[in-house]
Amino acid sequence: MFVTEWNSSALVKAATKAGKKKNALTPMTFSLLHATDFADRLLYKIVPPLKAGMIVLADRYAYTAFARDVARGVDREWVRDLYGFAVRPDLSVYFRVPIDVSLDRLLARRVKLKFYEAGLDMGWSSVPTESFRLFQSKVLDEYDRLVDEFGLTVIDAAGSITEQQRAFRELVAPRVERQS
Amino acid sequence: MSPTRPEQQGAHGGVTPGHYYGHGLPYLSIDRYPGKIIALEGTDGVGRSTQIRLLREWLEVQGYGVVETGWTRSPLMAPTIELAKSSNTLNKLTFVLLYACDFADRLEKEIIPALKAGFIVLADRYIYTAIARAGVRGVDSQWIRRLYGFAIAPHLVFYLRIDADALARRVLEAGGMEYWESGMDMKAGDDIYENFRSYQRQLLKEYAAMADEFGFRILEGRKSINVIQEELRRQVGEFLEGSASPRPIATEGL
Repeated sequence: MFVTEWNSSALVKAATKAGKKKNALTPMTFSLLHATDFADRLLYKIVPPLKAGMIVLADRYAYTAFARDVARGVDREWVRDLYGFAVRPDLSVYFRVPIDVSLDRLLARRVKLKFYEAGLDMGWSSVPTESFRLFQSKVLDEYDRLVDEFGLTVIDAAGSITEQQRAFRELVAPRVERQS
Repeated sequence: MSPTRPEQQGAHGGVTPGHYYGHGLPYLSIDRYPGKIIALEGTDGVGRSTQIRLLREWLEVQGYGVVETGWTRSPLMAPTIELAKSSNTLNKLTFVLLYACDFADRLEKEIIPALKAGFIVLADRYIYTAIARAGVRGVDSQWIRRLYGFAIAPHLVFYLRIDADALARRVLEAGGMEYWESGMDMKAGDDIYENFRSYQRQLLKEYAAMADEFGFRILEGRKSINVIQEELRRQVGEFLEGSASPRPIATEGL
């Protein structure tokens, strides 16, 4: 088994970090940098384990870009075309959660919301929690669209971790058995 | 030949110059901006930068505001691209995407603001170089065109054409063949001269295939610097005279 996380390739880390630090990313460069990161990981970290018959667990996939970049104003069709090189996952699970719950969880873990996570680059509100609500509600709308378009399986993430994990394992188990 | 307004000359991928090629940046409207984009395309070592410098001087003397933009010069991406090129981890996809990111950064931070302010943007290479390099490396040609759907169709695209043999001699005289210019990442072998010629030949083929599609105005790169510059000035001058904007700031009496 192999785990890959969003935005973790060494190649684009420097640019992403510099851009985020200076708040210098536009919706388009934000989108393209994340696609570059994804392409790098796809070729080095995702395709080789797949070829070796391993299970790749991806913590976020192209759908994150579809939701987030479009919420920022990037064209919906363009971003789907952009990721045309991605491998379609065998199972895509969307952990759906209301904005208030995600906000509470984030704030419980750390003091401040991150600039881009809260969509502060959009200038919709200078109050981070308010900006987060406005931005993430658009992100969630896009995710809802993706559920139908790409057949994402939804897990209610407002529940307890135990409940979520049980549901998740039930989804995964039959697919793993089929492969062995 | 039927008379056409200068604004509509060339094919420009079927798009009106000054408009987005494809979906564009939906959050940035660029309608009726007074500036103009003039792109100079051509492969490595063909003499683009010299021509750009001379053209810029000439335009500025006439009172035009000029902004220059060049490939991989964005402050955001330039260090990453340099690093990536030296570390040998680039593959054709990340190569293409890093370039696109560099272009997007310059488009939004340099080109669009300059167009809005009525400047002439001189682009030392434009998206066609990216499309040519991707084509040689086997990237899907439709995918890369859609990717660059956020680019603005230039008002004029000049293409400095040269053959691979003349180019090889010129590049050798100027200091030698470089790893990337020779397509060494494509791992065809160790003979840099043969690789350079074969890679540049393939690139030239890609450029030639784009000439009609994007309305390139072809300039013969084997001619002298002065002859090329004269032709460039003649065509640019004609175009600007026929355009409603920008107007040069009068320099008489100064």
